[in-house]
Amino acid sequence: MTDSRWVGRSYETAPFEVTEQSIRDYMAAVGDLREDDELIAPPTFAMVYGFDAYWQLWTDQEVALDVAHLVHGEQRFTFQRPVRPGDRIRTTGRLTAINSRGDMELVTFELKARDAEDRPVSDGTALFIIRKP
Amino acid sequence: MKTMSTLDFEHITPGQALPPLTKHVTVEQIRQYAEASGDRNPIHLDETFARSAGLPGVIAHGMLTMAFANQTVTDWLGDRSLLKSLHGRFAGMVLPGDDVTCSGSVASKDDATRRVVINLVVTNQRGEKVFNKGVAEAEFPPQRSSSNAA
Repeated sequence: MTDSRWVGRSYETAPFEVTEQSIRDYMAAVGDLREDDELIAPPTFAMVYGFDAYWQLWTDQEVALDVAHLVHGEQRFTFQRPVRPGDRIRTTGRLTAINSRGDMELVTFELKARDAEDRPVSDGTALFIIRKP
Repeated sequence: MKTMSTLDFEHITPGQALPPLTKHVTVEQIRQYAEASGDRNPIHLDETFARSAGLPGVIAHGMLTMAFANQTVTDWLGDRSLLKSLHGRFAGMVLPGDDVTCSGSVASKDDATRRVVINLVVTNQRGEKVFNKGVAEAEFPPQRSSSNAA
């Protein structure tokens, strides 16, 4: 069981520089190829510019989540504005809950992404399930 | 891939089904997603590691399935900027070789806020849900024309 004293710990990404290439690589990977008049990232690109916050949580040696048995259980996003090439986005993730349910551990991670002018871009909430071995 | 006109808010009806979207998931696509997203967790890439973690083999990223659900909605809207929220549960694993189908329907429509709520579910080729309790919300700008065609 992950120690509940880590609830409240937060992680911040370096600014993610959104490029046309990063959006197009993502679109190609997921197969979402529709061209709009203006290039706007698919909203779930939030997982890409915010990914380093997730990675920092998963690799935090003190929190020591059992990542080999971790799966993504649930995800919520709220989008405040579209993301375009040229955006610089910084995401902060906060470990907000660790709960036990049966033979599973539930870890809640809440994220806020903001642009270079500190305006909100998107919010996210991830629920991770760790199956106890 | 061609530009499509944005959906007309006035033409949306509660209960209406969105065009379903089917995707064939491959090892190559999972690798490509890992590269594009940065998520190189070995449960998605390393067959031996995935089996040692108690999985049947490598599994697709949940966020790849959610991207399909996202596309189902934004293809229908015809404009990615209209999507305001997306939520759902990863109800089952998606494995290479699976065919997953995203289905959506309009749950409600509010004329005052010009918001539309869409329910979403993704099933595999056996009819098992791999993403459920999916909900997307879109907001249309006030009094927009349905397309920019002259």
